[in-house]
Amino acid sequence: MDDLKKGMEVTEAKFKLTLCDGTACIHKHSKELLLAVESELDKHGLRQAVKINLSGCLGMCKDGPILIVNPGFVMYGGVRVEDVPEIVQSHLVDNKAVTRLIISPDYLYNRFFRVFGDVDFFGRQMRICLRNCGIIDPENIDDYLALRGYEALAKALEMMTPQEVVDEVKKSGLRGRGGAGFSTGLKWEFTAKQVSDRKYVICNADEGDPGAFMDRSAIEGDPHTVLEGMIIAGYAIGASKGVVYIRAEYPLAIKRLEKAIAAAREHNLLGSGILGSNFDFDIEIRLGAGAFVCGEETALIHSIEGSRGMPRPRPPYPSVSGLFGKPTLINNVETWANIPVILLDGADWFSSIGTETSKGTKVFALAGKVHNTGLVEVPMGTTLREIIYDIGGGIPKGKMFKAVQTGGPSGGCLPEQYLDTQIDYESLAKAGSIMGSGGMIVIDEDACMVSLARFFIEFTQDESCGKCTPCREGTKRMYDILTRITEGKGRPGDIELLERLGGMIKRASLCGLGQSAPNPVLSTIKNFREEYEEHIHAKTCRAGQCTAMLSFTVNEKCIGCGACKRVCPVAAVEGARREKHRILPDKCIRCGQCYEACKFDAITRA
Amino acid sequence: MLTPMQIIKNKRAEAVHRIIGKGYLSTRRVYVGMATCEIAAGSKDVMQVFRQAIADGVTDVYLSQKGCAGRCNLEPTVEVIEEGKIPVKYGRVSPQRARDIVERHLKKGEVITEWMI
Ligand SMILES: Cc1cc2nc3c(=O)[nH]c(=O)nc-3n(C[C@H](O)[C@H](O)[C@H](O)COP(=O)(O)O)c2cc1C
Repeated sequence: MDDLKKGMEVTEAKFKLTLCDGTACIHKHSKELLLAVESELDKHGLRQAVKINLSGCLGMCKDGPILIVNPGFVMYGGVRVEDVPEIVQSHLVDNKAVTRLIISPDYLYNRFFRVFGDVDFFGRQMRICLRNCGIIDPENIDDYLALRGYEALAKALEMMTPQEVVDEVKKSGLRGRGGAGFSTGLKWEFTAKQVSDRKYVICNADEGDPGAFMDRSAIEGDPHTVLEGMIIAGYAIGASKGVVYIRAEYPLAIKRLEKAIAAAREHNLLGSGILGSNFDFDIEIRLGAGAFVCGEETALIHSIEGSRGMPRPRPPYPSVSGLFGKPTLINNVETWANIPVILLDGADWFSSIGTETSKGTKVFALAGKVHNTGLVEVPMGTTLREIIYDIGGGIPKGKMFKAVQTGGPSGGCLPEQYLDTQIDYESLAKAGSIMGSGGMIVIDEDACMVSLARFFIEFTQDESCGKCTPCREGTKRMYDILTRITEGKGRPGDIELLERLGGMIKRASLCGLGQSAPNPVLSTIKNFREEYEEHIHAKTCRAGQCTAMLSFTVNEKCIGCGACKRVCPVAAVEGARREKHRILPDKCIRCGQCYEACKFDAITRA
Repeated sequence: MLTPMQIIKNKRAEAVHRIIGKGYLSTRRVYVGMATCEIAAGSKDVMQVFRQAIADGVTDVYLSQKGCAGRCNLEPTVEVIEEGKIPVKYGRVSPQRARDIVERHLKKGEVITEWMI
């Protein structure tokens, strides 16, 4: 309800203007434009009724500067300072749009912002991968076809050689969205170059990061775009078979994929002689049992082959020897969903979005202590602060921001001073975390960083396949040490021990799981070392989350009502009615129920 | 022989035709979020309310499901799009709210601002 109300307050402005603030538009004097708009609004006394947002590059540089008026998502292009009085008078005062300046570009992305509404949440986003999610009926291929669906495939088949498709993807600068961020075009090129009687295309939809749901939502919202990307790749690298590897825990996504594949076959978008060409391609689904390690590409391939999902050393990379020993192209769901847009809107356009090294957008599953939790897709180069505060709406209940965790169990925790870090592969790595597949958890002052690190290492030690001893045993040892620290039994030297173990596990593990498993621990030690020290030396947890270190005592405010006595599960409270009660420390299990139940602040938690 | 581009353009035309045949040009289009997250928040019951309303005689409505647009904390979401008007998006739609949307918005044309996102 709070969020709804909050939404209401902001919508009280009658109009919202969004001005593109990308470099190209600034070049075309968008700054002067902003000043002109502001002074014109003042002239009409409209300053209160109009809210102005600046957005990052909207990717429409050739039509810039762009000015969007909401409600209605009326988009003006090539706006000059001289046009401002007319726009304000006609649109904002007389409620009549200025038709001569309206542009409706035929781009695939962002075309539905009008429908998304909700400018505060969507204003800073850019939807390429999720362009149709929440818009079309994912179970009806007609909806996809109507929105230029499979046109990129037709374009590739008719107007491009396989090599040209590879070149276009290479030129776009797209990098893998599954975590490692390897150049997608190069990967396609390597696989295309292999000479073999058979090649495979795989979609990695294992999505094992706890709390991540980007890939699931993308498939559930728009399954055909993933299929189209895969078919195009099949054509580009010379493969005739594709496999979607998806965890069995995603029944609805699986159902929609099955429906989509069946519909695509019916329309001859899969099968032999696709769209009247001589290109054959088909896709099948393989279900995974939901093991984190099976998201690693070589383990995933083993799993499809019917063996146990264990990684193997690379090289050879899957592009040389993958599924059944054949050259195999494996990409993440989000990577695939970008392909049709790159072919239709063009690699030049795509590479104009983002930063020097990272192009396009990234989808994040925004979760934790933030107002607007949800799926967001932002251009690379957006800062963490913009995501958390502008899109996410900040931290609820007036709490303090403490850290943001990206990259799930392979990533790290960044404290306040990194909030202005731009989202791209290199910047996040430099700050001490990773891009990962897109999990983003916001942490407030109530969280204990040691417990958080323990949570992630508990996950990885459980998910370790057991092949490498450092990963199998080392993560277990780290977990034990963290457990004892949170129980108030930490020893001097534990921090150094964790650091040494972590370094060893990273160096001596075969696959990315072990190589990254210590990251959550190491990054919290780096950025929140004092919390570890407090736990070990002072036996306190500032967040009050490590209950084993708490003690509960009854203070002078007690009136002897007996509320605490009634809720105590282990009968550790004694005292006669109307007399001050007492908590027996030996019996107390520190569950905190008495603390919650007391209405008189008579229980001290320390 | 048609080229792939010609074939896909024909397919698009046919698809648009079929969508229109299902009543897409109705004055109102109602979209109910039906991804795993939305369903977990109760959108199946909400969908049922709209289906029932149409079965009970509310006319000129095109009802469709959609995937998740990302507003997790406000789900289930329902969108009412009317030609020439600003799309209306409701958050936290319970079956009761859905019934009210049918009564007030679809039948009387009233936009229920307090539930809008
Ligand atoms: C432990 C581990 C888990 C992984 N899980 C996933 C996953 O769930 N989804 C995914 O796309 N990639 C995952 N990867 C990365 C894949 O190995 C591979 O790099 C990716 O699928 C390549 O696709 P991309 O280039 O499109 O990112 C994982 C890697 C490791 C080491």
